[in-house]
Amino acid sequence: MPAESKAAYAPGDRVRILDLGKPGHVRTPVYARNKVGIIDRYCGRFENPEERAYGRVGRARIPLYRVRLRQRDLWTDYEGAEADTLVLEIYDHWLRPV
Amino acid sequence: MTAEHPDHPHGHSHEDHDHAHAPHPTREDDDVALGAGEAKFLALKSLLIDKGLLTADEIRQRHEINDRGTPHQGARMVAKAWVDPAFKARMLRDGKAAARELGIEVTEADLMVIENTPQRHNLIVCTLCSCYPRSLLGEPPAWYVSKAYRSRAVREPRKVLREFGLVIPVTVEVQVHDSNADLRYIVLPMRPPGTEGMGESELAALVSRDCLVGAALPGKPSGAAA
Amino acid sequence: MAERLITDIGGLPAGEVPRQEAPPLFWQKHMLAMFNVLWSNGILNLDEYRRTMEEMSPEDYNRSTFYGRRLDGMIELLVEKGLIDRAELGARTDDILRKGTRDHAG
Repeated sequence: MPAESKAAYAPGDRVRILDLGKPGHVRTPVYARNKVGIIDRYCGRFENPEERAYGRVGRARIPLYRVRLRQRDLWTDYEGAEADTLVLEIYDHWLRPV
Repeated sequence: MTAEHPDHPHGHSHEDHDHAHAPHPTREDDDVALGAGEAKFLALKSLLIDKGLLTADEIRQRHEINDRGTPHQGARMVAKAWVDPAFKARMLRDGKAAARELGIEVTEADLMVIENTPQRHNLIVCTLCSCYPRSLLGEPPAWYVSKAYRSRAVREPRKVLREFGLVIPVTVEVQVHDSNADLRYIVLPMRPPGTEGMGESELAALVSRDCLVGAALPGKPSGAAA
Repeated sequence: MAERLITDIGGLPAGEVPRQEAPPLFWQKHMLAMFNVLWSNGILNLDEYRRTMEEMSPEDYNRSTFYGRRLDGMIELLVEKGLIDRAELGARTDDILRKGTRDHAG
């Protein structure tokens, strides 16, 4: 079993959600790509759905994080309140520190 | 223009059921004509059984397990959190373990309970498919899995909530949670005023399925369409 | 930018959220249970299942129903894995429709 190393990001860290340009099954919605947010929490390690979707199961678990973004950063025409936010789950390889 | 909406799971009329607290019916749909979808399903089932990939008993047993999920289970968790601050703290820390204390077995990888506060209202969606804590709550409502909700809840949550009859003041943050990976979520709504002295089962009766997703507030109707 | 998956619709324009209650029928719940059994028997997994639904054509996806695409996605995946034959499934389906009766006793 792979060793549990420390999570790369801590709550409060600023991160960019990448657009990996990866075809096929991914769980990073287009609306969140190339956006900057804050790590809300580390969720633990999970098998990569990008592998599992093609029958490659039982592989190395990868860190998953909840990332919080400001709605006004996601949508140029956002009509709600200034303080409104959105949180979604992003796998480690889709993130870079800012 | 056909009455069938692509997002509606079926195209025929359906009796009104109040599924809020009753167990799900398990009788077969003998009063509904056999349609193309069901025939295809029955054909697939018989094929898979003949190939030894599963048995009818396995399907039946799993169906019964799935039927244990009802909104009332979520309502029980909320009611207990309202009367028992230590349970609430445990529930916010570990939703699965808290559910297990009440005899509820949550089988998803993780259950995160998100608390509404005077400063923040929470709304849950799965934009990519229909992720929902099914082992706790049962099947999600048709509106939750509709393309319109999945598209709009992330982009214009306040407008969607207004359609549900819920107006959140601009002084209160709306936080949308897109359930796009391994976690599943329920909202812990705030306890309504005037409920002091109510027991747990009375309180649970105030918590509808839609409250647990953030589309309604307890003790108030969600302005549901007929 | 990578192509958007057909299921990746967060933020796209859409109309009013349909509020009609539509609790699942018995066979629809039975189908979901069947998927769960296939998964726990190690024949397929949830990620593969999502992937096959993502591989529908946009036209098929847009006119699909919630349970319709779950059934069709399961079939596509089982065909892909060589576990069922599409022609045989079609023949059995026609047979059941012709007889017009159910057999949930299996």
